[in-house]
Amino acid sequence: MIALLPRVDRDRRVALLLSGPAGLILLALFALPLALLFAVSLQAPPGGPPGGGPGLSLAAYERLLTTPHHLGAVWNSLKLSLAVTIITLLVGYPASFAIARAKGGWRSLMLGCLFLPLAASVIVKAFAWTILLRSSGVINTVLLGLGIVDAPVRMIFTETALIVGAVNVFLPFMILPVFAVVAQLDPRLSEAAATLGANPVAGFLKVTLPVTMPGIVAGVALVSSLSVSAYVVPTLLIGERYPTLASTIAKAYLLSREPAFGAAAGVVLLVIAVAIVVLSSRVSGRVGREGRA
Amino acid sequence: MRPDDLSRRTLLTAGGALAASLAMPSILRAQSREIVIGGPAGAAKYFNEAVFPAIRASLGVTILYEGSNSLTNLQKMQADRGAPKFSVVIMDDPVMIKAADEGLIVPITAKGSPNLDRLVASAVHRDGMWANYQRPWAGIAFNSKTPAPASWTDLWAPASKGRVIVPSIQNTEGFWTLLVAAHLETGKPFAEAQYAIDAGFKKLKSLVPSLLNVYTNAPQAMNLLEQGEASMIGGQFSAYTLTRKAEGAPVDLAIPKEGGFAMPSGIAKVKGGPAPELADAVIDAFLGPAVQQILVEKAVVAPTNTATPRPAGFPDPATLFAPDWAFVARERGKWAERWTTELM
Repeated sequence: MIALLPRVDRDRRVALLLSGPAGLILLALFALPLALLFAVSLQAPPGGPPGGGPGLSLAAYERLLTTPHHLGAVWNSLKLSLAVTIITLLVGYPASFAIARAKGGWRSLMLGCLFLPLAASVIVKAFAWTILLRSSGVINTVLLGLGIVDAPVRMIFTETALIVGAVNVFLPFMILPVFAVVAQLDPRLSEAAATLGANPVAGFLKVTLPVTMPGIVAGVALVSSLSVSAYVVPTLLIGERYPTLASTIAKAYLLSREPAFGAAAGVVLLVIAVAIVVLSSRVSGRVGREGRA
Repeated sequence: MRPDDLSRRTLLTAGGALAASLAMPSILRAQSREIVIGGPAGAAKYFNEAVFPAIRASLGVTILYEGSNSLTNLQKMQADRGAPKFSVVIMDDPVMIKAADEGLIVPITAKGSPNLDRLVASAVHRDGMWANYQRPWAGIAFNSKTPAPASWTDLWAPASKGRVIVPSIQNTEGFWTLLVAAHLETGKPFAEAQYAIDAGFKKLKSLVPSLLNVYTNAPQAMNLLEQGEASMIGGQFSAYTLTRKAEGAPVDLAIPKEGGFAMPSGIAKVKGGPAPELADAVIDAFLGPAVQQILVEKAVVAPTNTATPRPAGFPDPATLFAPDWAFVARERGKWAERWTTELM
């Protein structure tokens, strides 16, 4: 049967057949659980309207998105994600160039410095930050020793500590995708731009930035979706004072045992993560087009 | 450890083994010799090092321990309801209440676990649905380089500004801070103050300047106390604090003048769990004097079996307040929201 079909159709069918098992795995492991999550989030709360029975309801979403406390958790997650993404981009972008331009042993050393901390658990890193930031820690000791401050500065369990720790944990996820693109960048491109009269700023904006945009987009998508859903880092570095979407989900399932509410928070988290990815690829497309124009 | 401790323990272990093998020899031989217990992660160290080897020596049962927190274990039990993995579960009373209400556990009987009848009456709940195999006591944990707090009001003292850690209401020990706050605000005894939650939250608000942090992760909080970053943990208990003290850490546990509290550590049989007869035998061992003696030494907790002597320096369980956990279990979800809204 397949043999009788035109070649293009046949190729397509073979491709479809070969991708079948992977498709089934994706369906079973991703699509079905997501559908289930969505279905649970729409469950009517127990003790709802009399005679209502188990029906569909948007009550969980309403509670999440209208209660100031829960809106605060959504905002905290977004704020953390935004701050961490911007800082890792500002630090990671030039760092990627430094690694890509470094030669031989230096490059290996720099990559090693980047990869090795990835092997340490995020819990270890969070604990390490609480040691560094405490009032008798290295940072306060140096500040006191240099006479910059008179008394130890309270740094642990503050939003600043959280952002510093989160940047440290998520920075490699920004540097690696950008580095992958920058490493393949032809250095003659910016030379050509300069030859054609572009000043360094114009050269960067019109040539280098658009060409490296796919790496930036991948880094932004990775870091922002990891940090918007971070659970361990905020729990250990700031605790209950900073409720996030992830901690809201944990509390709903474990403490108050309201699966519909937890699932709704999960769906909102997912929507935010998807929106970030879609938005960043749109931005990338636009910058890419402008760059080519 | 003194030599007489060792000999007493050996004797008790041997006695327990004899009693258990006399009680149910054929059943034990017929079963698979391995069961899974779900329980608190914090207890894994002394369970694995001391308690499980003793049970293995007396009953020949190998125990696989899954250490987590009570609420996570409850979630697992609910998810595995059709085919439970745990045979026995160890959780705090407020979580046991939920497990019982959701039909996830079945009563322990004196026929299967004869030691049930030898416990102090207050350690058996809902006709044996679960039992307290140990009683850690709670007070204020403090860094022993600073003076011991004499009153719960010390948490609010100006000298404590930014140096106090309290447990989250998500943790069982988190209730103590709320209860004490209600007591201090209303002036009523604990038995009445435990229902005055609004007053408790009002008083807790004034604790904010004292707070370094609110923890869900107890080892992290204990670490900050040991390092001197925090001076007190308001609402901590013996099984965490005094075990660290025994290991040489500069921490201690004070029972302030207003009183201390009884932590509710329960053990229960999982409904439909594997090897039910082995579960009975293992629960019996936990309720028996041999294991309780080990726990007294290793976990610094008061025993609940009347045959286990209470060492000097351990508070009399009768002086420790035990709250209405059913009320706590029912309301805690709501308090968690208020806790972060009003306290942070």
